[in-house]
Amino acid sequence: MASVKLTNVKKVYDKNVVAVHDFNLEINDKEFVVFVGPSGCGKSTTLRMIAGLEEISEGTVEIDGEVVNDLQPKDRGIAMVFQNYALYPHMTVYDNIAFSLRLKKTPEDVIYDKVTKAAETLGITEYLMRKPRALSGGQRQRVAIGRAMVRDSKVFLMDEPLSNLDAKLRNQMRAEIILLRQKLDTTFIYVTHDQTEAMTLADRIVIMKDGYIMQVGSPDEVFDMPDNLFVAEFIGAPKMNIIKTELLCEDGRYYVTPFGAKIAVDGDKGEMLSKRGIKAGPVLLGVRPEHIGLSEKSENSIPCTLVVDEMMGSELHLHVDTEDGTRLIVRVPTIDIGKEERKALVAGAKLYITFGGKAMHLFNPETEKNLLT
Amino acid sequence: MSKNRGSNTGGSRIGSLLKEYSDAGYLRLSKLQKFIYKILRFFCSIPRAVGGFFVKLGRIVKKAAISLADNIKDIGATFVHGDWKTKTSFFIMGFGNIARGQVLRGILFLLFEIVFIVYMITAGGYWLSMLPSLGKQGPEQGYDPVLDTYTTLYHDNSFKILLYGVLTIFFIIALIYTWRLNVEQNKLAEKYLKDGKKLKSDKEDLRSMVDENFYKTLLALPLTGILVFTVMPIVFMILVAFTNYDGAHNGFSNNLFTWVGLDNFNTLLSWQSAGGGQSYSATFGEILAWTLIWAFLATFTNYFLGMFVAMMINKRGIKLKKMWRTILVMTVAIPQFISLLYVSKMFAKNGLINLTLKDTLGWISQPLPFWDDPTWARVTVILINVWIGIPYLMLITTGILMNIPADLYESARIDGANAWQQYTKITLPYMLFITGPYLLTSFTGNMNNFNVIYLLTGGAPTNPKASGAAGSVGYTDLLITWLFKITTGAESQYYLASVVGIMVFVVVALISLIVYNVLPSIKNEEDFQ
Amino acid sequence: MSKSNKHHMGIRTLNRVSNGAIYTLLAIISIIWLIPFVFIVLQSFRVENTYQVGYVIPQQWGFQNYINLWNSDFKRWYLNTFIIALAAAVLQTVIVLCMSYTLSRFRFKLRGPLMRFMLILGMFPGMLTMIILYRVLADLGLTQANAVPGLILVSVASSGMGYYVSKGFFDTIPKSLDEAARVDGATRLQVLTKIILPLAKPIVIYTILTAFMGPWGDYVFARYVAFGTSSGYNVAVGMYSWLTNDQIDRMYTTFCAGGVIVALPVTILFLCLQKYYVEGVTGGAVKG
Repeated sequence: MASVKLTNVKKVYDKNVVAVHDFNLEINDKEFVVFVGPSGCGKSTTLRMIAGLEEISEGTVEIDGEVVNDLQPKDRGIAMVFQNYALYPHMTVYDNIAFSLRLKKTPEDVIYDKVTKAAETLGITEYLMRKPRALSGGQRQRVAIGRAMVRDSKVFLMDEPLSNLDAKLRNQMRAEIILLRQKLDTTFIYVTHDQTEAMTLADRIVIMKDGYIMQVGSPDEVFDMPDNLFVAEFIGAPKMNIIKTELLCEDGRYYVTPFGAKIAVDGDKGEMLSKRGIKAGPVLLGVRPEHIGLSEKSENSIPCTLVVDEMMGSELHLHVDTEDGTRLIVRVPTIDIGKEERKALVAGAKLYITFGGKAMHLFNPETEKNLLT
Repeated sequence: MSKNRGSNTGGSRIGSLLKEYSDAGYLRLSKLQKFIYKILRFFCSIPRAVGGFFVKLGRIVKKAAISLADNIKDIGATFVHGDWKTKTSFFIMGFGNIARGQVLRGILFLLFEIVFIVYMITAGGYWLSMLPSLGKQGPEQGYDPVLDTYTTLYHDNSFKILLYGVLTIFFIIALIYTWRLNVEQNKLAEKYLKDGKKLKSDKEDLRSMVDENFYKTLLALPLTGILVFTVMPIVFMILVAFTNYDGAHNGFSNNLFTWVGLDNFNTLLSWQSAGGGQSYSATFGEILAWTLIWAFLATFTNYFLGMFVAMMINKRGIKLKKMWRTILVMTVAIPQFISLLYVSKMFAKNGLINLTLKDTLGWISQPLPFWDDPTWARVTVILINVWIGIPYLMLITTGILMNIPADLYESARIDGANAWQQYTKITLPYMLFITGPYLLTSFTGNMNNFNVIYLLTGGAPTNPKASGAAGSVGYTDLLITWLFKITTGAESQYYLASVVGIMVFVVVALISLIVYNVLPSIKNEEDFQ
Repeated sequence: MSKSNKHHMGIRTLNRVSNGAIYTLLAIISIIWLIPFVFIVLQSFRVENTYQVGYVIPQQWGFQNYINLWNSDFKRWYLNTFIIALAAAVLQTVIVLCMSYTLSRFRFKLRGPLMRFMLILGMFPGMLTMIILYRVLADLGLTQANAVPGLILVSVASSGMGYYVSKGFFDTIPKSLDEAARVDGATRLQVLTKIILPLAKPIVIYTILTAFMGPWGDYVFARYVAFGTSSGYNVAVGMYSWLTNDQIDRMYTTFCAGGVIVALPVTILFLCLQKYYVEGVTGGAVKG
C-alpha cells in the first residue's frame, strides 16, 4: 500500500538506443494504473525499472516516498506477475507459492496458512501438489498471481499477465483481476498492449509510444478527449476513422467538409472551437465507427460503397469505400437494421452515411494534437 | 568521424562499379547470372569489409586515446578537488576507504600495494631490469666457495627472466588498474557522502558478493586460471618467437638466449634453403597446404556422411532406431587413443590387414603401403577419420534433423518435390544455416587435430625433401604435429615452434574472420531465392 | 479407385526396396564400426603370440595378457588416469558452470570483450603453451613422478574457456525465472542454487561426463609432463609406449587387454548417461 513516483525516468540501452524518455508519473496509493501501448513503446521497460529488474539510466523511482534506484528487487516491497508466468518448473504449485516466504525464513505453519488461503482465493487448492507442467494456461496464471499475493507487497506489478491466454480465458481472468484488486486493495501497475484490458481495469491509463507518454487519464478521458491522433486511434475498437478534410468557419459556425458533404460542428465542440478562436483550414477529422450512422441521401451525408460486412452478433461492422477510395468503418447495432435492409447489405451496395458534430474529434494535421485540448 | 565516412564511401564506390540489381531485377536473372553476380558482389564487398575493419580499428584506437585522456583528467580533478583523505589515498591506497569506514576494501587495497612494493624491491625490479637483455652472464666453470670445488656456476636464467619479466609487467598493469580503482572509489565515496547517502558497509560489501556482484565471485577462479595458464603462456610464447630460445640456448644450463627481432619470421618465410634441404618457407607451405586440405576434407566428409547416416536411421519406417544409434554412439565413448592406435597398427606393414590379405588369404604378395606411400597414407588418414567422426556427427545432425518442422516437407511434397529435391532445397539449407558456426569450429578444430594424425601416423611417411633443419617432417604432418615435433625433436627449436604457432593463429583467425563476416551476407542473399 | 490403389502399391514396394537397402547399409556400417573393437577384445585373449598375426580368433584362449597387465606398470597408469579424471570431473564442472552461468545470466560491462578475448585465445594452438607450462610445473616439482597433480592443475585451470555448450543450455532457461526469483527475494546465489541448478541437471551431467572422459584419452600433454618416468604416465602415454617399434612385438596383445580394461568402464558409464551426452552435444552444435 504505497504511492509510486517516477521523476524524469529515462532508459538508455548501449548509449544510443533510448527506450524510455523522461517519464514522469505519480501513482497514488491503491490506484490501478495501466501502461498501454504498442510493442516496443517502453511500457514493459518502465515496469521493469520500477521492479528493479532493469537499471534506471536517469531519474528516480520512489516507492512510498523512498528512492529505490539502488535497491535490489527483493528490497523494494513489490510483487510481480510475469507474462509467461515464470513458474519454477521443478517445484510444485505449493512450493512455487511458498518460495518467497521460505526465502524470508517464515515458519512453515504460517506459510501453510498463507499459501492455502491464496490458493482458496484463486480456486487452485486442488492443484497444490502438481507441477506447473501439469496445469493449463489459466491455472498457471493463477499460480503466478498466487505467488505474488502471498508477498504482501506494497505494489503489485503485472507484465502482460493475460496475453498468453486465449480470448475466452482472457475475459474471464480480466474479471477475476478486478475482484482480486478489490480483495488486495493495494497499488497496481499493469502493463498490456490490449486497449480493452486497459479500459476495463484501469483507474488511470498511461498511453505510451516510442518511449514517450502520449496521454495519462481515466478511461473516460482518453476515450472522449484523446490528446492526439495516436491516442485516438489506439483507444477504441474498431479504431477511429481518420479523414483528411477542411474546417470551414461561416458566421461563427464551424463546418467540416468530408468527401463533399458539409457537416456542422455543433454543441460543445463548436463552442470550444470558437472560444479558442481556431481558424479555418485543413484538419484531420476523427470519427469513431459507432458514431457513424446510415442515412438517407442529403447535404450532410456521404455516399459510399459497401466492401465487406462483418456480422459480430450484436452489431454489424461495415467496411465502406467513399468515392475517393478512402476506407471507413461503420459500426451499427444489429437491432437497428430491419430484415429487408440487412438483405440489401451486400458487397457493392450503395450507402449513405453521416455523423453528428458531437462525435467529431479534430486534430491539427501537422502536430496531430487535438484542437480542443 | 569525417575520416570514417570518407573511407566508407570509397568502399561503396568500388562496389558500385558493379551494377547493383533491384530485387525484381535480380529475380529475373538466370541461374548462372545470379551465381556470377553473387560472386562478383562477394569480391566487391571485400574492400569495404577490409576498409570497415580499419575504420573500426581506428575508432577503437581513438576511443582508447580519448578514454585515457579522460581518465588522466579525472584523476587530476579528483586530486585537486578531493579532501585530505582522498589526497592521501593517492599515495597510501585504501586510506580513504578505511578513513570512511569501509575497512575491508581499504585493507585489500593497502595489502595489494604493500605486496607490490615488497615484490618490486625483492625481485620484480631485477627481472624487469634484465628483460631487455634476457641475462648477461651465462653458466661458467668456476670455483664454488661453498662446496669448495670447481664446478659449473649458474648465473642468469633467460627463461626465468622472460617468464618473471612478463609476470612483473602483468603485475604492474594490475597495480595501475587497482590504483585507478582506488582513486575512483575515493571520488565516488566523497560524492556519496556529500549527497547525504550512506556508503556500503563491509557487511553489505560481503553480501553483494553473492548478489549483485555475484558474477565477480563466480568469475574469479575461472579467469585466474585462464590468465595464469593460458594468457600468460601465450604472451610468453609470442615473445619467444622474437628470441633464439632452443635446445642449444636453453637460457640456463648451456647458453643464454636473447632477443633476435624478426629474424625467426624471416627464416620461416624466406626462400633460402636451410640446412641442405628445401627452404623453411617451402616446407611451411607444403604443410600448410596439406593442413588446409585435410581440415576441409575431414570436416565435410564427416559432415555429409554423418548426416547421411542420421537420415537413414531417421527415415520413417526404419525399425530399431535406438539400436543403430547406440552401436555408433558406443564408439564415441571409447578413448580415441585406443581406437586410433589400434587401427593404426591394423593398417601397418605387418599389421592385421596386410597379414590377413597376404598370409591368410594370399590375395597380395606385397603389403599394401597404407602408411608408406604419401597418397595412400593421406587417403587412409581421411578414411579413418570418417570412421572416428561419423558417430559424433550422426548424433549432432539427428537432433537438428528432427527439429526441422515437418510441415516444410509436407508442403514441399504437395508442391511436387522429390526426395532429392527435398534434401537440397529444405534439409541442406536448414542444416547449413543451423550448423554454420559448428562447421567453422569443426574446421579449425580439424586444422589442429593433433590426436588423429599423431596417433595414426605420427606424420609418416617421412618427406625427405622437407626434413632437415626443421626436423623430421612427414607427408601427413599438420602444422600442429610439426610444431610438436619441433619442440620435442633433438634441436628443440622453441623459437621456430612459436613462430609456427603464431602462423597457425593467423591462419585460423583469418579463416574465422572471413567466414564470420562474409558468410552471413551471402546467406542473406540466398534467403530470397 | 483401382488406379489410385495401384499407385499406392507402387509407393509401398518402392518403400520396401529402399528400406531394405537402408537396412543392409546400416548393418554394414554397424559391422565396420564395431569390428575393430571386437578384434581388440578377441586379441586380448590370445595366448599363442604376442605380436600381430593374420587372423583374429585366437587359437589358444587365456588370460595371460591380463596377467601381464597386472604385473606391469599399468596399474599405476590406470590409477593415475582415474585420479585425474575424477578430479577433472569435479573441478572442471565447477569452473565451467561458474563461467557459463555468469556469461549467460549477467550483463556486465566487460562481458562482450571477455567473450571475444576468449574466442581469440582459443585460436592459438594450445600446444604452444606446453613448453612453458612444462617448465613452470617442473619448477613447482609437478612433473615426471609427480605428474598427476600437475596434469590436474593444467587440465582444470583453463577449462573455463570451454563454456560454450553449457552457456547455450543456460540460455534456454527463461530469464524470467531468475527475475521472478529475485522479486521473490532470492539473492543471485540463491537463484543459482535453488532455481537454475535443479533445472540444469542434464548439462551438469554432460559436463561431468565429458570432463571425466577427457583425461582417458589425453596423450600429448601427459607425455610432455611425465616424459621418461613411467610412474607418472597415464594410460594413453603408457600404452603408447607399448606400440613403439621395439616393443610392439612383445606387447601387442597386452595393449589389447589394456584397451579393454580402459574402455570398459568409460563405455558403460557413457552408455548409461547417453541421453545427457546427446542432449549436450546437439545443443552445443546448434548454439555454436
